Amino acid sequence: MTLAPNSYTEIPYEEKKRLFDEMRADPRYQDHLYGCYECGICVAACPSARFYDFSPRKIAQALARQDVELIYEQLNDDIWNCSQCFSCTRCPRGNNPGGLITVMREVAVNNGLGSARDALEGYGRVVYKIMGTGTQVSPDMLQPNAFPDWGPHVKEISDHLDVWRRALPPETLHTTTTAWQVDDRTITELYFIWHATGVMEMIEEVDEGLYEILNDVMEDVLEDAGFDDL
Amino acid sequence: MSKIPLPIVQERRERQRPATPPTEDIREKVFEIEDAGEWTVHRVPEPYTEVTTKYGRTKKIPHQGLWHHKSCGQCGHIPGYSTAIFWLMRKLGFEYDDPKDQTSCTAWNYYASATSNSAAQAAVAMRNFGAAYESEHFPLIHCGTSYGHYKDVREELVAHPHLRAKVRSILDKLGRPFVMPEEIVHYSEWVYAMRHEFAARQVLDLSEITATVHPACHYHKLVVEDAIYDPDIYGGQRTAVVTAVAQALGAEVADYSTWFDCCGFGFRHILVQRDFTRSFATQRKIEVMVDEANPDVVLTHDTGCVTTLDQSQFSGKAHGRKVGVPVMSEAQFAALAMGAHPYKVCQLHWHNTENRPLLEKMGIDWKERWREFEDELKQLESGEKEYVTWDDVDAEPVATGSDS
Amino acid sequence: MSDAVLVIGGGPAGMEAARSVADLGSRVVMVEKRDRLGGTPDEAGYAALTPSFESAEEALDRMRAGVVDRPEVTLHLGSTVVEASGEAGSFSVTLQNAKGERVTEEVGAVILATGFQHFDPGRETQMYGYYEHEDVITLVDAEKMLKAHEFVRPSTGEKPRNVAFIQCVGSRDRRIGNEYCSKVCCGISSKQAIEVRRLVPDAKVYIFYIDMRMYGYWENQIYWPAQEEYNVNYIRGIVTEVVKKGDRLLMKGEDTTMGRPMEVLMDVIVLAVGMEPSLGTRSIASIFGVPQNKYGFIEVPGEPMDAVTTGVSGIYVAGAAAGPKDLEDTVSMAGAAAVKAVGLLRAKAKGAA
Repeated sequence: MTLAPNSYTEIPYEEKKRLFDEMRADPRYQDHLYGCYECGICVAACPSARFYDFSPRKIAQALARQDVELIYEQLNDDIWNCSQCFSCTRCPRGNNPGGLITVMREVAVNNGLGSARDALEGYGRVVYKIMGTGTQVSPDMLQPNAFPDWGPHVKEISDHLDVWRRALPPETLHTTTTAWQVDDRTITELYFIWHATGVMEMIEEVDEGLYEILNDVMEDVLEDAGFDDL
Repeated sequence: MSKIPLPIVQERRERQRPATPPTEDIREKVFEIEDAGEWTVHRVPEPYTEVTTKYGRTKKIPHQGLWHHKSCGQCGHIPGYSTAIFWLMRKLGFEYDDPKDQTSCTAWNYYASATSNSAAQAAVAMRNFGAAYESEHFPLIHCGTSYGHYKDVREELVAHPHLRAKVRSILDKLGRPFVMPEEIVHYSEWVYAMRHEFAARQVLDLSEITATVHPACHYHKLVVEDAIYDPDIYGGQRTAVVTAVAQALGAEVADYSTWFDCCGFGFRHILVQRDFTRSFATQRKIEVMVDEANPDVVLTHDTGCVTTLDQSQFSGKAHGRKVGVPVMSEAQFAALAMGAHPYKVCQLHWHNTENRPLLEKMGIDWKERWREFEDELKQLESGEKEYVTWDDVDAEPVATGSDS
Repeated sequence: MSDAVLVIGGGPAGMEAARSVADLGSRVVMVEKRDRLGGTPDEAGYAALTPSFESAEEALDRMRAGVVDRPEVTLHLGSTVVEASGEAGSFSVTLQNAKGERVTEEVGAVILATGFQHFDPGRETQMYGYYEHEDVITLVDAEKMLKAHEFVRPSTGEKPRNVAFIQCVGSRDRRIGNEYCSKVCCGISSKQAIEVRRLVPDAKVYIFYIDMRMYGYWENQIYWPAQEEYNVNYIRGIVTEVVKKGDRLLMKGEDTTMGRPMEVLMDVIVLAVGMEPSLGTRSIASIFGVPQNKYGFIEVPGEPMDAVTTGVSGIYVAGAAAGPKDLEDTVSMAGAAAVKAVGLLRAKAKGAA
């Protein structure tokens, strides 16, 4: 029940409840949520609360109340504003609002919620990079059109990228398409982990195109390595 | 800097009574799981330095034989960060392994997009730990987020046997050993432990340099009891890493009122919602530092913090904000103090905010150093040379692992 | 079989228990580690007591008069219990003074009145900088100034313009392992806030709180006068951190009533520190083998109907050794413990006869 349902009324209560139950089924949930003192320690420590209409206290409070309607609202409107800095873990009751948001985001992705699709728009290249190459950002991502607000410096780097990378003494850092040189076997093992833990299905929920591309990259590699019993 | 008024606070600290740590020591549980035959604990190799953590427990920081768990953002966008860490290790004559058998911890993506889950994250961590164990080197984690995340993973694996079993079965299929390190060690803890060694080899006088310190959230806010605290630094009330290093090198560390604030990185924000990142980094951090401490340099100890605090200043400047303070890691700062080349080793040309006035104040002839670096670039461009190597940067030859 | 009751601890609980046992006509052996009676209120220098602002010193003197120079009471000052054996009706207890001299007393029952210690806020998990900033003080530090009828910034000696009290420091905090409420801090902070306003009428005084728990006499004699006569500002929200800004303190928190973050400059910040079991309470529990709760306080299994009987037959507890107590609870428990102890002696005597 909720004290004042006023949004997402088109979504049936049962669906909202199902998503809430999925959050609670995560083993971390119990470790992250106790009651809430309403003391606001988390809010004053929270960077996102200063720039958005966002409050880690309200996240903890809604979950502690088991207010399914309000939780659904937060699942759609709030959770992607969190900075995941975990400053809120100072909670005297032992709550971890940032950790709860991690769980909520996972549920949003798992269920292909609109909020997750929106949040990941324009982010696909990063998911591709990390899942496909084993490093999150690569030197060749430093393109002026990607970081216009970082000034002409980015262009200077991209103009000299190859030679600047070769001017690095550690031999693992001469790469441009990955942050460092990663062995083939290592990458293959990472692909296996994504398949064995359901991460590929999560990607399929939110970005089918990306899923197809990743699958193309990984399929043969895994098969050649003998990881065919997925 | 507002000096800490010693007499009163000193007296308060002396009155302190011993207290029981409010948390269980997770490391005891890690050993219990080893006793039960579920995993192998990767022992900290000797020699090590014992340091004190938040609740007064002791943590072992190994000196050498380390497996460098590199950072995506450091290696990808600010590679002088990683290079400086390696260089420091070489200057101390310490053997290490810079592995290719290492993936990202993938936590940046996880905290940004949630396109992963506990089991996947733990499997990635344990694969890397297994690889370190097989190389007979102990993991040293370069990234603050990897460090914090791995500590979270350790908590989850210890608390949830089902998760442990699932991850173990994945590691079995990969043919990797199931290994948990005795300690999870961040590179800045190693730098803290070695700070007096650096000071002994220092060639620059830094007494005119004022630094402000930004502590990384994922270092001291995630699994707080594992971070280093030192009664001589901030009265033992805040983490001592970075600050203790700058002070050991003779620089003045100035305080400012948003010390505890996050840098504004936000994981997803730095990539796709940068308006938040820019505003937070400049208005809540850099401008406050300038107003209250007027530092020559901002020192920090994590990938995202260096990137955020440095890159965000460009737009701040365009808007006429009070910015313009160079940002680097304490490892780069210590390397410079020990005579490292600002471009060949510290690779400061990858950083955005103007740092030449700082270099001048530190007594570094940046014009000459840049000319030297350009000579190297010419040789690389002409094909005369394929790479700049450790031989070119006055680093001791060290028998290393895969980087040899 | 002994006809004496041992009272351990010479604070309000111990003095009231000893007086009551003596009034009931039984013999008392009283042991106190300090060289004088009075306990924590005396040692910490409490100035005025709630709710009537009467002098703590005078109130303690009245309690002392109840036990000193009485034929029924044998007083061992500067002494501690080092060993104990026996059972209800016949305990043998060894006391030791500062010179290392030992004496053994035979007693039939024991009342533990070993009290609490104030939480040390250098240990808190919020970032209040008690070991960093002179002008961050505790209720105990403030009480010392109030006793001298002054209230100034320790760093400068000047009168403060803005003063804040932060509640629940060391209490209601799972992160530091003290989940309990310390009960008295709301009342004490409010009392001190009134005193500060009287001494420094130009100062703005704020109390930042989770809940104000001011039942009983505190409601009408402290809480409402603080608001209505002295304009103390009660702000719902606990402070996240205290940092230095210029030569003042910047405190950050959320004003949860107004739903907005706040950053306010203060001159003095008073941390309302809670109670923890004293070292004496911890050690006496192990000497007598008395069960403690998870926080180290003496366990009282019969609560609420029996507030003083411990887990060991013949041993009773009074006051804050059993958990946070106000003075009203403390002296009430002392009376109850005295009655039970004397009752036990008489039952044993009857049984033996």
